[in-house]
Amino acid sequence: MQTRTITIDPITRLEGHGKIDIFLDAKGEVERAYFQVPELRGFETFSIGRPAEDMPQITSRICGVCPTAHHMAGTKALDDLYKIEAPPTGRKIRELVYNTFMLEDHALHVYILGGPDFIVGPDAPKALRNVVGVIQKVGVDVGKKVISMRRRLRDLISYFGGKVIHPVLGLPGGVSKGLNPDDLSSFKQLAEDGVEFAQFTLQVFKDIVLKNPEYVKLITSDTYTHKTYYMGLVDENNRVNFYDGKIRVVDPSGKEYAKFPVQKYLDYVGEHVEPWSYVKFCYLKPLGWKGFIDGPESSIYSVAPLARLNAADGMATPEAQKACEEYFSTLGGKPVHFTLANHWARVIEMLQAAERIRELINDPEITGKHIRTIPTATPSVGIGVVEAPRGTLFHHYETDEKGLIRKANLIVATQGNSARMAMGVEKSAKGLIHQGKADDGILNMIEMAFRAYDPCHGCATHSLPGEMPLLVSIRDASGQVVQELRR
Amino acid sequence: MNDARPRILVLGLGNDILGDDAVGLLAARRLRTLLPDSVDVVESPGGGLDLLDLLEGYDRAVLIDAIMTGKNPPGTILEFSDADFKKDDAPSPHYAGLPTVIQLAESLGIHFPSQFRVVAVEVENPYEVLEGLSRSAKAALPAVIERAKGLVHAWLSDPLVR
Repeated sequence: MQTRTITIDPITRLEGHGKIDIFLDAKGEVERAYFQVPELRGFETFSIGRPAEDMPQITSRICGVCPTAHHMAGTKALDDLYKIEAPPTGRKIRELVYNTFMLEDHALHVYILGGPDFIVGPDAPKALRNVVGVIQKVGVDVGKKVISMRRRLRDLISYFGGKVIHPVLGLPGGVSKGLNPDDLSSFKQLAEDGVEFAQFTLQVFKDIVLKNPEYVKLITSDTYTHKTYYMGLVDENNRVNFYDGKIRVVDPSGKEYAKFPVQKYLDYVGEHVEPWSYVKFCYLKPLGWKGFIDGPESSIYSVAPLARLNAADGMATPEAQKACEEYFSTLGGKPVHFTLANHWARVIEMLQAAERIRELINDPEITGKHIRTIPTATPSVGIGVVEAPRGTLFHHYETDEKGLIRKANLIVATQGNSARMAMGVEKSAKGLIHQGKADDGILNMIEMAFRAYDPCHGCATHSLPGEMPLLVSIRDASGQVVQELRR
Repeated sequence: MNDARPRILVLGLGNDILGDDAVGLLAARRLRTLLPDSVDVVESPGGGLDLLDLLEGYDRAVLIDAIMTGKNPPGTILEFSDADFKKDDAPSPHYAGLPTVIQLAESLGIHFPSQFRVVAVEVENPYEVLEGLSRSAKAALPAVIERAKGLVHAWLSDPLVR
């Protein structure tokens, strides 16, 4: 492929570089646009022959962005492998750590990664569309508050799991460390502050984004709208659950299409391959791959905050539920198809995570001593699923009778959105580029189409010293590159 | 700090199960035995905002990492200074890498290194889950270590100017 030889700015590096190829017709209008990210290879080969117990550690080492999600999905797959459940205290500690991770990771996106689009504004000068711009807008004190809250949340994760990036908390049937009652009071304070912080963030979002009619217009614009299916884990009351539950899928009209235990995922999730991309595109297997189309004929589903709120009947905690009701009533009812509403849904999920942390830390069982049940069953197949910040994450292991891995399959969250993201990039390119003209502002608007999902490219995003590079090549009808935009 | 000697960090970054991406970690591991105790040597798989936590409180920092420019033969050693990260057009505003973290620290008044050096090794394949370096990365390792050591020693003999 001629576009394979790209040059990357010297201060960019390993993390997945996004690449968009835009093909124009003879009139300079967009004919097709392709969004590509590199894929991580060799995971299955690496896993084969290793003890299954190592998988929560190995998988968390793949990715520096969402190690806790991989760790927890891997741990739950081990539970399933040994047909064992964690005792109530063990389960609650896992849930506590997991919700803490969700709150921290979502906050990072809201303020640092996605914030420039909304807190600063998509049409702000380029020099301000960054974290400095965010701080100018919200104030230094708020910036300090965000950093301090992030640290305290990470301290909680470290308390249980050792290193945040390589947690060692989860074991089949439980956890490796309990909560000492002497340490409870500081975590209780953190839980209160966490709820306050999430509510504050919701207010920031309302004040800056929702009170600005231009932003609301942008969120609800056709350029960023796709009517697809939506997937997410729900509890027994069909409420959003990040840690556990059944997988629920709703159709583009919001009606339940399927609800199934995670072990049945292969009956529902198909992976489609395209010659131009390393990434496999998830779709609903019973419907068959129907191409990159949305609407009633689509077989594409979406994951992550927008999808989770659509796929559930509501939030699991009271304040988040209130915020969720306001969200749906403001955006015209359920389901919400506006990709950029992911940012709002993410803030509502922050609130649920914070409220759930508060519930768990005040639960008398959280300081219990019985944190693990020892597995005794002979292993064969284990499937574990969590809602990662970026969507439904599947871990599937098969072992021999000694528990050595024979097969390992992961479907990472970003993959669940890959088809919808590809459609989003193409639609926004078509809507924004005319007569072959594109500039930095337009590039940013196209990037917004996938940034809303907080995509984690190729699970290789540990990054230094660079930034996520993006190369956009615009080609005329004869295939010649007429413009390149790079950042 | 009353002798005004700078607090120096050597930070090896990378992922030890992504092939050549481990080169920074391995260099740091070796440097720990070669540098005086007053210099902190840290290995980390972190990126993004993790760097804020890792770099806070230091006056000078050497970061060792893998890089993929596609412009140099694998094994080439590149060096960047903080000035390279302050170019207006370089940072993508939406991924929290080193430039973002430097900006963030400046905006929030966090004590951050006033001088950075990044020693980077051009690598071929950081996208495959495997252990062990390729021949080119392995061959570059001694020179990377020497380069980082040289930078640290220059700083150690240099009075702290802020």
